Amino acid sequence: MLRAPSQSPVPATRLGRRALPVLGLLAAALLAAASVPRPRLDAGPPQTVISVNPKMGVHTRLTDEVEEWKIKRTLEMVREMGASWVVEYFPWAYVEPDRPGQGEWEHNDMVIRHASAQGLKVIARLGFVPHWARPRDTTPLYLDANGYDDFAEYVYRFVARYRGRIVGIIVWNEPNLSLEWGYRPVDPAGYVEMLRVVYPRAKEADPDIVVFAGALAPTLAPPGTEWGMNDLVYLQAMYDAGAAPYFDALAIHAYGGKFPPDDPADPETINFARAELLREIMVRNGDGHKPAMITEGGWNDHPRWARAVRPGQRILYTVRAYQKVLEEWDWCLAFAPWAFRYPAPARTYQDYFTFVTSDFQPKPIYLAVQAYAQGRSDGEF
Amino acid sequence: MPKGGPTASFRAALAQRRSRQLWAVAAAALLVVALLVFLLWRAVGPARDRYWERIQRTGEWRVAMDPSFPPFEMLDAEGRPIGFDVDLASAIAQRWGVALRVESIGFDGLLDAVWAGKVDSVVSAMPLQPQFSRDVAFSSPYFEAGLVVVLPSADNGVAGLEDLAGRRVAVEWGSEADVQARGLRRRWPDLQIVPKETAAAALEAVVAGEADAALADHVTALQFIGGGGQARLLTVPEPDGSPRLFTLVSDPYVVVMPKRAPVLQAQVEAALQALAAEGILDALTEKWFGVASPP
Repeated sequence: MLRAPSQSPVPATRLGRRALPVLGLLAAALLAAASVPRPRLDAGPPQTVISVNPKMGVHTRLTDEVEEWKIKRTLEMVREMGASWVVEYFPWAYVEPDRPGQGEWEHNDMVIRHASAQGLKVIARLGFVPHWARPRDTTPLYLDANGYDDFAEYVYRFVARYRGRIVGIIVWNEPNLSLEWGYRPVDPAGYVEMLRVVYPRAKEADPDIVVFAGALAPTLAPPGTEWGMNDLVYLQAMYDAGAAPYFDALAIHAYGGKFPPDDPADPETINFARAELLREIMVRNGDGHKPAMITEGGWNDHPRWARAVRPGQRILYTVRAYQKVLEEWDWCLAFAPWAFRYPAPARTYQDYFTFVTSDFQPKPIYLAVQAYAQGRSDGEF
Repeated sequence: MPKGGPTASFRAALAQRRSRQLWAVAAAALLVVALLVFLLWRAVGPARDRYWERIQRTGEWRVAMDPSFPPFEMLDAEGRPIGFDVDLASAIAQRWGVALRVESIGFDGLLDAVWAGKVDSVVSAMPLQPQFSRDVAFSSPYFEAGLVVVLPSADNGVAGLEDLAGRRVAVEWGSEADVQARGLRRRWPDLQIVPKETAAAALEAVVAGEADAALADHVTALQFIGGGGQARLLTVPEPDGSPRLFTLVSDPYVVVMPKRAPVLQAQVEAALQALAAEGILDALTEKWFGVASPP
C-alpha cells in the first residue's frame, strides 16, 4: 500500500540511513541485470523435417518480425508443413546501420538458431544498403562500384558468423529491375562486377558456402524499357560480362501467373516452366554442371489481380510444382515459393501469396501441402 | 616588462576588441531573429506544395496505376487504361481543369514511385496501408473492397454476424472467405461450411437455398448482384438508423500522395467529398458493378 509522506512511521533521516544500503543493493542488482544477456527463448530439441519430398522449401519473411516466439513458431510451422528449405532475407543495413562492422546480429542470430533447431536448410538473401555505403538521396537498393568492397566485407562477416549453419547466400535480388537497382538503368556488367568482388570473400569465409547469383525477376520488358530488362536477356548478358566464375548456383524466381506448372516454357510467357529457359542459358554457357534453385515463385489467389488464379487452383498448382521439381528437374535443388507468412498483413494482393496468416492461422493451402508432404491424399484440408 | 597600468595603445586595443565583440553579438542576435521569423513563416504562412504547383503549371496530373486489377484498372483492346479508377481520376482531374496522365507501373513499385517523386499520385485499387503512413499520405477511402456477408433477397433471420451460428455458410474453397469461415466455426462449432469451387458458385448456393449465407469480397458480391443475382448484402444500423454495409474484413481503397504535398492532399480530399456528395461515386459503382452500394 502507498503512504503519503506525512504518514511515514519513520523519521526521514533514519529512513535515509536505512534506505541507503537497500538502494545500493538495488543499484548493484540493476547493474548486474543490465550486464546479463537477455534470456533467450529455448529453441527446443533438434527437430527433423519429415516429408515425402526433400525439395520442398518456402521463402519466409522474418526480417521485420520482432518477437522471438513468432520467429520460432513460424519456423516450427514450416517444418510441420514438410518443407526442408527456407530462404530468408538478412538486410545489411539492419546489421551495420551506422558504420562498417557495427554488428547488430541479435535478430539474425535468432532466426538462424531457430531454423537450425527445426532442422531447416537456410539460404540467406543479402542486400539492402546502409546509408553510409551509398550516396545521399539514394534508396537502400542502390549500390554502385564504390560500395562493393564494403558489401563484400559484410558478406564475409555474415558467412563467417554462420559457417556450417547456412547452406548458401543469394547476392542481391532482382537486379534486372530498375527499382531493385536503386532506380538506375539496370546493368548486367555492373552486377557481375559486384559478384566478382563478393564471391572470393564469401569463399574465404566458408569454402563450402553456395553462392547464388541471379534471382532475376521474370519479366517480358521490351528492350530499352526504363523499368527493367527481360530476365533471359539479362542472364545471357551476365555470362557475356564474364559472370560464370563468380557464382556456384543460379537463384531463379518462378512465378506461375495464370498458368499451371505444366504449361510449357515459352520465351514470350511468364510461367513456372520459364525456369527451364534460364537453365538452358546456363547449359549453353557451359554451366550445366551447376545447380539452380527456385528461391521465389508460386501462385497468387487474389480475387481480382489479373495474374492471380482461383484459390483452389493455387493449391493444386503448388502441390504439382513441388512434385515436378522432385520428379523432373534434377538440376533444381528445391522450390521455395513466396511467401510463408508476413509479420503483419501487407493489406495488398501480396497477402494472397501466403500459406499462413499473420496470426498463425494455417490457410487451406498450408493444410493441403502438409497433407502432400505426409503422403496423405484423404481428409479435409 | 614595465610595471604600472595598461598603456594607451593597450586600452585602445581593448576597446576595439570590445567593439568587435558587440558587433558579433548583434549580428548573432539578428541571425536568431531572422531564423525565428523564417520558422514562424514556415509554420503559419501559406503551405508550399511543389507537386500542386507543377500540376497547375503543366496542366497535367501524373497518376500511376497497375492496369491489372479489373474492373478498377485494366487495358482495353487498344491498350488504353479503363476502369473505375481511371474514371475516378478523370473526374478529379476534370474538376481541377487539368489533363490526366496515366503511368502504368507494377503494383509493387507504386508507393515507391510516389515516394521518389516520379508521379503525383496513385489511384490503383490501393488498400490503405497504415504501416507506410510515414512515407506517403493516404486519402480517405473511396471504395470498400472487404469481405461481406451475402444473404438471400428474402429475410431469413440473419441480421448480424452472430446469427450465422448454426447456419450453412458458403465460401470459395481455399479463399480468404474460407479462412474467415473456419475462424467463425471455431467460435460456433455448429456453423456448417459449404465449400464451392468459385466465389460465384458460393453466391449461387445462397440463391438456390443450399446455404443461408455466403462470404465473399465486396466486388465479387456487387458484380453478382449487379448481374441479376437475387441476393442482398448484410447491413447493420448506424446510430441514426440508416443501414451501413457490414464488413467482416475491411479493405478500403484510397488515393496515395506524396507526404510533402499538403495542397494536393487537400484538393484530392475535397474532390472525393464533392464526387460523393454529387452521387458521382455511386454512378461509377453502378457503371462498373451494375449496382450502387450498399444495395
